Amino acid sequence: MKKRGLVIVVLVILGVILGVIVVDFLNNRPDRRGRNPYALEVDQYRKVDPSLVRYRETRNFDLGLLIAADMTLYNNHLYVAGNSLLVKISLDGTPMDMIEILPGATSVEVDDQQVIIGFRNRMASYDHRGTLLHQWAVPGDSTWITNLALKADKIFVADAGNRRIIIYNRDGEQTGEFEGKSESESGHGFIVPSPNFDLAVNSFGELWVVNPGKHALENYTEDGRLRGFWDKAGFDIEGFLGCCNPARIAVMKDGSFITSEKGMVRIKIYDPSGKLISVVAPPELFEGGSGKAPEVCVDDQGVVYALDFDRDRVRVFEPIDN
Amino acid sequence: MEKKDKGYNRRDFINNGIRLALGATVAGTAAFTLSRSATGKDYVWQIDPFKCTQCGRCATECVRSESAVKCVHAFDLCGYCDVCSGYLKPGAKLETGAENQLCPTAAIQRKYIEEPYFEYIIDEELCIGCGKCVKGCSAFGNGSLHLQIRHDLCLNCNQCSIAASCPSDAISRVPADEPYLIKGDFTKGEEKG
Repeated sequence: MKKRGLVIVVLVILGVILGVIVVDFLNNRPDRRGRNPYALEVDQYRKVDPSLVRYRETRNFDLGLLIAADMTLYNNHLYVAGNSLLVKISLDGTPMDMIEILPGATSVEVDDQQVIIGFRNRMASYDHRGTLLHQWAVPGDSTWITNLALKADKIFVADAGNRRIIIYNRDGEQTGEFEGKSESESGHGFIVPSPNFDLAVNSFGELWVVNPGKHALENYTEDGRLRGFWDKAGFDIEGFLGCCNPARIAVMKDGSFITSEKGMVRIKIYDPSGKLISVVAPPELFEGGSGKAPEVCVDDQGVVYALDFDRDRVRVFEPIDN
Repeated sequence: MEKKDKGYNRRDFINNGIRLALGATVAGTAAFTLSRSATGKDYVWQIDPFKCTQCGRCATECVRSESAVKCVHAFDLCGYCDVCSGYLKPGAKLETGAENQLCPTAAIQRKYIEEPYFEYIIDEELCIGCGKCVKGCSAFGNGSLHLQIRHDLCLNCNQCSIAASCPSDAISRVPADEPYLIKGDFTKGEEKG
């Protein structure tokens, strides 16, 4: 009888131990843990006032096997560079043409004269049939070309690695260079913490360069003198958030800017003086991605084309008024 | 009655099998030990900063009362917190006043390098390895702040209790002669390789 009682006690103890182990195992599974007491809460900044969102995503199209690096819009066609190819796509997403380019493109611009491709530390120009015209190395130990802009016979090259804008002619000869520095307080120079350094020439022929470390858009003369700037830093929707924003820009025909931000990805429109006009795409449309800023282009009707690097798709946003 | 052959019966078979298994175990253990001492390879636990999701468990799951996980700053990767807000509270002014800082224990100190670049130095006595600053730096900056297991503090348990609860399998054993996965350094190594 005594022995039986002992067995029962031992069994009860074993049962309790087993129960504790099972409960502990189930509760400690990585997907069943409680809230992180040290969580960084930024969800409130992901929410955007719906009245500010005056665009909607109407369609998107696949880029096939292309691993896209950059995109530009010229003459009502999109040109997407990636792998060793440059693909010409109509605005409804139909592939129209394709030319073979050197591998490793980081940036592309197209105008009446040429197709210009930027690589990490070199440049190449092609005619519209895909014939290689010129290629040249861009000097510098840490050269990292991120974006290009064209105006007449000038090629403006943004070199994030050396925090400078280099100017070439169409034959690949360097005609100028500037770092955005001046004697004035506002002329600190370009602060480029990461390879996000964009520039654009608007329909009035003005050169605008993003100074990402200052969350600023700066207007320069062609010889590198600062003419004006505006800046917006902050977590709220009016500002640019975190490091290196806006990471990419495009210009509308009235001189307004389309801005694309990395980190908390959002696409917005600012007027030429820096006043927020509307939101094209709020962060919720890019949930779950890597946080890389989409490349943006805009056509004459104000339709915004965003190259989503995570999905390898071009996403089309049209004004709701349309 | 036929006499059974008692030369090699079932009992002998089982006994020999057990001897063989024991022998193989001893030989295997000896070979493993010899191979480890021959290659000099020993292993320690470390966090892959590219897999880490800054869940906060490094602060609470370590068997040590003061977690062996600490924040480190890859100085050569980025030091632009002044323009980034990565280590400041969301919505706070871009000023380094204690009330603006994200770190719950004020463990981050900084050293001026050049405008606006700073080296960020972590006071390891204060850092609890919560990863809150790492989250901000990774989400909005270049991710130069990241978490590492400090081997002067780590007990190198057979089963790391943080690894067991890590939701992203970011903690694994690495060779003891390369015990840290500092972002700037091993990222450069990958580029060279």
